[in-house]
Amino acid sequence: MSKPTAVSYFKEQLWHSNQILVAILGICSALGITNRLSVAITMGLSVTFVTACSSFFVSLLRNVTPDSVRMITQLAIISVFVTIIDQFLKAYMFPLSKVMSVFVGLIITNCLVMGRAESMAKNVTPFPAFMDGLGAGAGYMIVICAVGAIREFFGFGQLLGHQIVPQSWYATTDAPFGYENFALMVSPPAAFFILGGFIWIYNIISGEDHP
Amino acid sequence: MSEQQPQPNRGPSDLQVIGFVVILSFVCALVLAVLASALRVPQEVAQELDRSEQMMIAARVFTHEGYFQIQNDKGEYVPAKYAGDGRLVAGTEEDIATSNEILDVYKHRFIPTLVDGKGKTETFKEAGIDEEKYLADYKKSGYYRQPEKLIYKILPNPTNGKGEDPQPIGYVIPVNGFGLWDAIYGYLAVEPDGETVIGISWYEQKETPGLGANIAEESWQKEFYGKKIFQPNSEGQINQKTAPVGITVVKGKVAEVLGTSPKAEAAVDGMPGATLTGNGVTNAYRDVLAAYRPFFIKIHDKTETQ
Repeated sequence: MSKPTAVSYFKEQLWHSNQILVAILGICSALGITNRLSVAITMGLSVTFVTACSSFFVSLLRNVTPDSVRMITQLAIISVFVTIIDQFLKAYMFPLSKVMSVFVGLIITNCLVMGRAESMAKNVTPFPAFMDGLGAGAGYMIVICAVGAIREFFGFGQLLGHQIVPQSWYATTDAPFGYENFALMVSPPAAFFILGGFIWIYNIISGEDHP
Repeated sequence: MSEQQPQPNRGPSDLQVIGFVVILSFVCALVLAVLASALRVPQEVAQELDRSEQMMIAARVFTHEGYFQIQNDKGEYVPAKYAGDGRLVAGTEEDIATSNEILDVYKHRFIPTLVDGKGKTETFKEAGIDEEKYLADYKKSGYYRQPEKLIYKILPNPTNGKGEDPQPIGYVIPVNGFGLWDAIYGYLAVEPDGETVIGISWYEQKETPGLGANIAEESWQKEFYGKKIFQPNSEGQINQKTAPVGITVVKGKVAEVLGTSPKAEAAVDGMPGATLTGNGVTNAYRDVLAAYRPFFIKIHDKTETQ
């Protein structure tokens, strides 16, 4: 096999090793805060930023990090970036940060971030590590945005807060058999079913690659 | 690595490991400290704006969707837009307010005031209390526990002409209590009759997303419009001196639990799956509003005699 290029690290993470669909990591936040597309996008961007930057720094320090404290080192680096994101959201996107509340802090324990640091970043040079982290985050973001879009569309009839399903379709007292929002979509179990569906479809599409 | 001979003392010594961790912690702490001090001001501005918005939502001057509201001739709330100097004129739902407009309307129409144990109001200046310090010091313990309790006067929408001192069109009371997970902070706005609710909001809460966190949602807060903060007796009369004070969040629907009992006037529907948050809200209103009873009696008598 030829030497992998930096771009191939990115692409690999997007599809072949997608962290949610293949590794089934990062499920907690994927279930918890995907009922609105705007929240899913913010969460996706935050995780991408944290994974990319922390992978870069873990890789930068890989030769000087004593093996006995490498986990602690990774955690410290990850928490620094999570705190940066948290502080920025609180300062400039306050309403969103209220909705996301604890989930921003919980990026620290998102297995996806530490998984990339431990299995990739500490073994390669900083740039490929950065690309790998970026790809892992982007792969995660695409999936949770898709889940978020489906849940917001069916749960609220909206996308990014804009009404998509026309108000005139909705059931009223005059026309009781009109359209109604799918209440299940708003609650976390919906994300569970949707993710399950995604993984199923993924396995059908990529069936030849993963016997 | 495999070429190296295994040696008894390979790898970093304990001292090196400790040194590495110390340096790493120091660098991380430094980065975060710099960031925290750099972002402190924008964060405080954002929180201030959010609190103002939430207070205006309780007073129904502002909506969750982001536009202002005024009352038309029939007393209905209609969308409004900003017209300078804290004044609002009729507009549409498309007129999303900017943060400067929100803060300006807030400054013009919401006046922090103190109420003593007998229901007498005075300004911070008259009481000789530093407003900023008071607001910061007693937020956690609750303003209602202080001898001088906090209340916000809601002034009417300023008109073009300069009239005499405008009479308040309502009062906002800061409410705090404990939800299921943590302290909850909010506002309750009452009309000048001292018993009818204008609206409520919760600006700080860490309840379960999708269940208890619905206390921050418009759909649930709407339940409170026009409710009474005193429980009417069986004849439907309210005696402010003796009636139990507070708004009860029932388990289930008010119509099913209380039927047509006058008690339903001081009760709202519970949120499915969030009974404990509901109980927390009930307790918060009972405890906080009880402290303001003398004030409610006073403003109620004033409107009766007018």
